[in-house]
Amino acid sequence: MRRSGGWSGKILRVDLSTGRIWTENTVERYKDYLGGTGIGYKIIWDEVPAGTRPYDPENRIIFAVGPLAGTGAPSSGRTAITSLWPTCWPVPLVASGHMGGQFAAELKYAGYDAVVIQGKADHPVWLMIADQKVEIHDARRIWGRGIRDATYAITEIMGQDTTVAAIGQAGENLVPMSVVVNAVSHSAGGVGSVMGSKNLKAIGIRGTGSVRIAGKKEDWEKLIKYHLSLLGANNQHVVPNSPQPWAEFYDPNSRWNAAKGRRWGAAAHPVDTGTCDPHDTNRIAYRSNTAAYFLGDIAWKHTVRGNGCTSCPIRCHTILSVPAVTAKYGIPSVGHDTCVGLVFGRSFFKELPDGPKGMTGMEACMVGKHLADDLGVWCNYGQLQRDFIKLYYDGVIEKKLGSREFKRYSWSKYEKGDPAFLFELLPRIAMKEGELGTVLGLGTGYILERWSLSEQQWEKDKDLQYWKLGHPKHHASEEAGQCGMLINLMYNRDAQCHAHTNFIRNGLPLPLQKKLAAGIWGAPEAVDGVGDYKPMHRAKARMAKWSLLRKELHDSLSLCGWMGPWVASPLKERGYRGDNSIESMLYRLATGDNKDREELDKVAERIFLLHRALTIRGMGTKEMRVHHDKIPEWVYTDKSGKPPFTKGTTRLDRNDVQVALDMFYDELGWDKATGAPTARAYQKSGLDNVADTLSKQNLVPA
Amino acid sequence: MKTREIIERTCKDEGAEHRDKAAEIAAAIRKRSAVAELVSEEEILSLLRAAWHETGEDIAAILIQLIEENKDLYKLSGAGSQFFYSTIHMTETYATILLNKMDGPMRLIAETVRQNAHVYQRPVLLDIFTKPPFDLTHDQVLEYLKTMAATESYDDIKAASTSASGIYLYSTTHLETEYAVMLAEWLDVGQSDNP
Repeated sequence: MRRSGGWSGKILRVDLSTGRIWTENTVERYKDYLGGTGIGYKIIWDEVPAGTRPYDPENRIIFAVGPLAGTGAPSSGRTAITSLWPTCWPVPLVASGHMGGQFAAELKYAGYDAVVIQGKADHPVWLMIADQKVEIHDARRIWGRGIRDATYAITEIMGQDTTVAAIGQAGENLVPMSVVVNAVSHSAGGVGSVMGSKNLKAIGIRGTGSVRIAGKKEDWEKLIKYHLSLLGANNQHVVPNSPQPWAEFYDPNSRWNAAKGRRWGAAAHPVDTGTCDPHDTNRIAYRSNTAAYFLGDIAWKHTVRGNGCTSCPIRCHTILSVPAVTAKYGIPSVGHDTCVGLVFGRSFFKELPDGPKGMTGMEACMVGKHLADDLGVWCNYGQLQRDFIKLYYDGVIEKKLGSREFKRYSWSKYEKGDPAFLFELLPRIAMKEGELGTVLGLGTGYILERWSLSEQQWEKDKDLQYWKLGHPKHHASEEAGQCGMLINLMYNRDAQCHAHTNFIRNGLPLPLQKKLAAGIWGAPEAVDGVGDYKPMHRAKARMAKWSLLRKELHDSLSLCGWMGPWVASPLKERGYRGDNSIESMLYRLATGDNKDREELDKVAERIFLLHRALTIRGMGTKEMRVHHDKIPEWVYTDKSGKPPFTKGTTRLDRNDVQVALDMFYDELGWDKATGAPTARAYQKSGLDNVADTLSKQNLVPA
Repeated sequence: MKTREIIERTCKDEGAEHRDKAAEIAAAIRKRSAVAELVSEEEILSLLRAAWHETGEDIAAILIQLIEENKDLYKLSGAGSQFFYSTIHMTETYATILLNKMDGPMRLIAETVRQNAHVYQRPVLLDIFTKPPFDLTHDQVLEYLKTMAATESYDDIKAASTSASGIYLYSTTHLETEYAVMLAEWLDVGQSDNP
């Protein structure tokens, strides 16, 4: 190894029960797990015994970043937060939440690759990290206040350069559907209440150091420029959404929605986003206006500019200015967010007076995001809203609440699509107020259990998007056939994997996608047209495995899994090829550890295996194929009765799904009968001790 | 800047060879492509005549040289003429849209819908025609569609509505109706419900 870089070198450990603060050496203990989720899974495996509950003091909450955080590599601003998951049903298992913002880089600049919290403080506290100075402070003054107030209060103490990750009232009140938020709008779902259970209101970080790059400065700069040259728009869409003079292809559903005449209308001086030729890497930030993508053309005139995470040129958190909402709802007129966070409020309504992309929809988004980001309520990738709509319109809420509580809500306001209704609902979730407030904060699985509803009912309804373990699908079979289905089997919450969908939705015509797929996954059959699925093929299993490894790799390096991978590009002269080795190229130069793509993928596989081992240990069974890798019934249905493998249906075939599972387990070197990794699979990844431990509990296939 | 101005400004040598003239015309075409415009053959011919007083055979030779010696220049036929553009600044896709636009809004709509169905296997949202480079109004598109529905040469162009009231257009020459309907719902509703 040449001179080392990338890692800060220390992991900060804090025991809130005892007040003890200490550090560990990252490279000595965790280099084989890179960072992020790799460190998270390893610590949970080593230190949190099976049977531990999410709110037990023995549970850990691990805020971990990777060797690329703080290096300036594009889209390297992600923090992985790993813990036992409160909404995972019926048994809490390991999972991770992910936030962008400035936390990851700031942590590195303070000198740490991770902060690991254990124990429980005897009163509310917040953690101050100012380089080497780490202190536990009394948080009683800010307990009970929203995330925004807490952020400002801590910033007052630590200084304007501080990054604060805080929970709101939802996390404090142990609402499982709660988030931690840094930089005011960058949230990680599911873990707010784990912080709350430890009486930890917030972590404030101010770092004045830097991250060493092992390679030569000129090589690093060259690599960054190369990486930037391959970038598309939000979600690595590589074609514009309308015809542009430079573009051979376009896709109206692309998130590359810049064009001459489309302006950031609420900027002090309106900015024309222009044609955005892909060779002009200084204009990458103009390519995507995610607010316009989600809210429609009406968003352009309310757009101030893009915002986003440290060193990410995509800027997917579009800043909106909607002055009307201040007078109307008493909330700030400016806000920024993206994806489900942006549409948090709108998604509660089945009907809106002027449609989903009208002004009311935008107001609902502003109200929803301000409330959710302050109270710290999580949407579970929109499942909260889908559950709410289903429960209300099926009459379940009325039946379960009793008339007294039911009448406390302005249901006529709700049915008319009045965003003001959100002021009645969201604070009650955060405060666990009443039966409805309490129930909605539990997460789907626990709602079903508490109200004696059948999970099967949720599994049958495609529109609910429910998958398993109390969580929804995340880019599954409906858009990626067997590959999407396989990916969604693996996790204990929604899969959060975008490697496959970012390729499928990149906007290139299918024949070109197939050509690229052949180069990456060995055969063009890896990808099908949406709704034109063909029987299982080995290349689909390879694509699924690759997608999962890329997810773990990104989560462990701090690269954004929403923006990458970068295997397609907007460059015609490259035949639209991206580069499958960008991650390893960045890793090598940053750390000085000369792993190539294949070697780094093996590390990703080790991390992914550890997640599987934790799941097996947590469930106490090796019969994963039957008990964990469950497929909801809606996957096998089609409203018009179309059979599988006919054009126009996303319906999968039961036998073919079994073939897909066989191929996938085989591709991973796992046992086909149980779906559990074999001892050899663990050993090949250097996880002999994991194999030994699980073998003793009869959790490894013979 | 129009081609005439460019050529007039650059044509100072009355005795310039065809090669020079072709190069100058090529430069003019590139400048027009850079501002997303096609140059018609008539425009070039009239300018050649005006600037260099060229006639008949010489003009034909210059045009041949133009394409042969400038690998970035391409010629498209349509709208009753031939049009030139430079691939340095414009793709065939974009040039074809501009050409179809000159052929009239109905042809523009039909050819765009056909191209989307053929190349991408997708229906297209009617609203794309209300934005550049198409620049029609919503009502105009609806009006043209009515006419197209009664015109035999456009009988492959069909519309599908989504549950979000989106209107998608597709060509039955390249896309089966059931598949187009399913894709329209996916593009209009499915993708935004699955961000």
